[in-house]
Amino acid sequence: MLQSNKTEFSDSVFAREGTDRISRPRSRWIFLLGAWFRVLELSEQRVSMFLTRSEYDRGVNTFSPEGRLFQVEYAIEAIKLGSTAVGLKTKYGVVLAVEKRITSTLLEPSSVDKIMEIDSHIGCAASGLTADAPTLVEHGRVETQNHRFSYNEPMSVESTTQALCDLALRFGEGDEDSMSRPFGVSLLIAGYDENGPSLYITDPSGTFWECDAKAIGSGSEGADSSLQEHYNKEMTLEEAELLALSTLKQVMEEKVTAANVDIAKVAPTYHLYTPTEVEAVIGRL
Amino acid sequence: MHENIANIENSKRAKKKEHANQSRENRNMAMMMPPRLNPTDSASGPKQHQTWSPYDNNGGTCVAIAGADYCVIAADTRMSTGFSILTRDHSKIFVISETCALASSGFQADISALQKNLDARHQTYQHQHGKQMSCPAMAQLLSNTLYYKRFFPYYAFNVLGGLDDQGKGCVYSYDAVGSYERVGYAAQGSGMQLIMPVLDNQLKSASPLVLPKRETATPLTEAEAVDLVKDTFASAAERDIYTGDGVEIVTINARGIQKQYMELKKD
Amino acid sequence: MAEAAIALPPKGGFNFDLCKRNAMLEKNGIALPRFRKTGTTIVGLVFKDGVILGADTRATEGEIVCDKNCEKIHYMAPNIYCCGAGTAADTENVTDMVRSQLELHRYATNRESRVVTALTMLKTHLFGYRGQVSAALVLGGVDVTGPHLHTVYPHGSTDTLPFATMGSGSLAAMSVFESRYKEDMDKEEGMEIVSAAICAGIFNDLGSGSNVDLCILTKGKTEYLRNYQKPNPRSYIRSKGYDFARGHTAILSTRITPLKDQVTIIEGDAMEE
Repeated sequence: MLQSNKTEFSDSVFAREGTDRISRPRSRWIFLLGAWFRVLELSEQRVSMFLTRSEYDRGVNTFSPEGRLFQVEYAIEAIKLGSTAVGLKTKYGVVLAVEKRITSTLLEPSSVDKIMEIDSHIGCAASGLTADAPTLVEHGRVETQNHRFSYNEPMSVESTTQALCDLALRFGEGDEDSMSRPFGVSLLIAGYDENGPSLYITDPSGTFWECDAKAIGSGSEGADSSLQEHYNKEMTLEEAELLALSTLKQVMEEKVTAANVDIAKVAPTYHLYTPTEVEAVIGRL
Repeated sequence: MHENIANIENSKRAKKKEHANQSRENRNMAMMMPPRLNPTDSASGPKQHQTWSPYDNNGGTCVAIAGADYCVIAADTRMSTGFSILTRDHSKIFVISETCALASSGFQADISALQKNLDARHQTYQHQHGKQMSCPAMAQLLSNTLYYKRFFPYYAFNVLGGLDDQGKGCVYSYDAVGSYERVGYAAQGSGMQLIMPVLDNQLKSASPLVLPKRETATPLTEAEAVDLVKDTFASAAERDIYTGDGVEIVTINARGIQKQYMELKKD
Repeated sequence: MAEAAIALPPKGGFNFDLCKRNAMLEKNGIALPRFRKTGTTIVGLVFKDGVILGADTRATEGEIVCDKNCEKIHYMAPNIYCCGAGTAADTENVTDMVRSQLELHRYATNRESRVVTALTMLKTHLFGYRGQVSAALVLGGVDVTGPHLHTVYPHGSTDTLPFATMGSGSLAAMSVFESRYKEDMDKEEGMEIVSAAICAGIFNDLGSGSNVDLCILTKGKTEYLRNYQKPNPRSYIRSKGYDFARGHTAILSTRITPLKDQVTIIEGDAMEE
């Protein structure tokens, strides 16, 4: 699963620009991938010697003989069940759009918040088990505020993403404050810092990538290919709003209304669109 | 790692252990406080002389001047105690990053502890954020670091100088417990009272009431600022017994960091 | 009334009127004023033909140098000089008092003053004030009985020595004497060692500084070498200087008052020639 996931991402439109910043491993998962390929060859021959998959997928801190952590892979699967979220980076800022999946007309749309503010210059959209998102966002808020307290400057978007991924990995430690399982949520993190606008995606394995445009959730496959087709780096913020919403529209079952989508931008500060503003974008579709 | 706000996250756990922590914290507090060796009980009682202090004053003077595109940070190199000179070539300037240097006078043991602390924090910052800390960020960190020891302070009087994110010169002046301010120029240490009025005269408008308000950066060129710094140190060495031997001058500008040294009176 | 406030005690000595008040103020936490102290290096040395006295020239008030070139070798008699350390006012006055008494004594006896006479007067005075008059002295001279060198402590005790140091730089200076002193040195060697001792104080004691003063007393001859050495010139002078351009001070307002109308004679006749 991990492998197929990886391939999918490398096909998609993310582009990490070569920078002169200090390079460092994204997470331990990078190392795990390498190790896993080696183990795979051996294990195929002697699968019968080991316990079957079902007995390895219980403990979150137990590798299977193939070198896999099934609970993490299942958590990544959970995201594919989530509502679709789209993020686009332009030169002027980043746009996030999510499908809210209002299941009943009796539901108050504003109570479904899948786009959240982490700091005044960072926002994020969640997909998957969205109940896990507030825990991560709260951690991000503490980290960014702590950074402001210590250094009187906003925290960079990459560092904030790294901080969130650090928490995502901190599961199954037996500690009463830490999660007993991996987070079942993936985040699109939009931010604007000294290096300009940036968009990151995180997953339950604690891995993150930087992208120009990315979709997560149940409609991500279709949305991603649509983004690949229509995205270009020279877009204006208005064009990005429109592309985000039209991409969502393609993969949504319901009609797009101000009640069942949320849009936010970080340009250069976070702003969640009011229903009227969403209406205006819908009007331009 | 984040001793401050991160604790909010752990508040649940903290509450549970509150009772247990209470006594330990009290003990820690007792260790933090400077030992009181001379309890003055009542006014009528005999005066006890303090026999030992956790602090010493090793003297010395620090000056920094911010210009439009440079910053000059200077400090004398004498380290003394009482009427004795401990060494004539002790640098009081600590270059923290490519755009930031800290000059400190006071108690040299506390100062070197402070420098090591800041250096470690800067190293961690570089690993975490993949860049060097800016001078304004270091200014805030220094303030926090000093205030963290509010009740057993670092006996250090600091002047932080460097370039800000726009490449303009910046100077921050501190007290021992972290109160700080961005200024156009600053002096700290034993020669402060002698040097500050000269800098006021040479670098500031006649009155704060004169409008339009002037910029914090001084109008002097870099060479003129260095010239002024050398002269103020030569003057301070004439009259302040704790200032002398030599002055180290660090200049930070777009070209990087340059250091120079000038001899002062040795008496 | 006004006279009483400025009247000096009729028979000399100190006025103790405010001691009780000052004790009360001090108890209530009011600090006494700081005195000008000559945190000092003063030395004396007996050589083949006489005595050499030496002193630095720094006077301090706490951590501030208040006189960069003061005189610490005081005249007592044509053949006797005295170096002073401690509170400047005490050393200046105590030496001056003894100086005048010695002069009167010379008028009365028509003889050259002796060093022991000066020494006895100094120690009697200081002992009487139990150390409150804080003068630490190095007294040297050549009289009919030969060259003499003494130290006098603030409480009134005295020493008679071949070489002596006093003041905050005394240890630094003494290290030079202890390592280099020999009996029966000639004048040049003596001057060299005395100035080296003073320089040790100047450079290693923060209370001492600036220049070296020497005084060489030999039979029938006294040489007072003021600023014998100047080892501490200013290290830098600003090339730009501190000249202020005309108009540097802002004029905030102007008012001209004509002077001619200030004095008017209202009545009376002009003064008679």
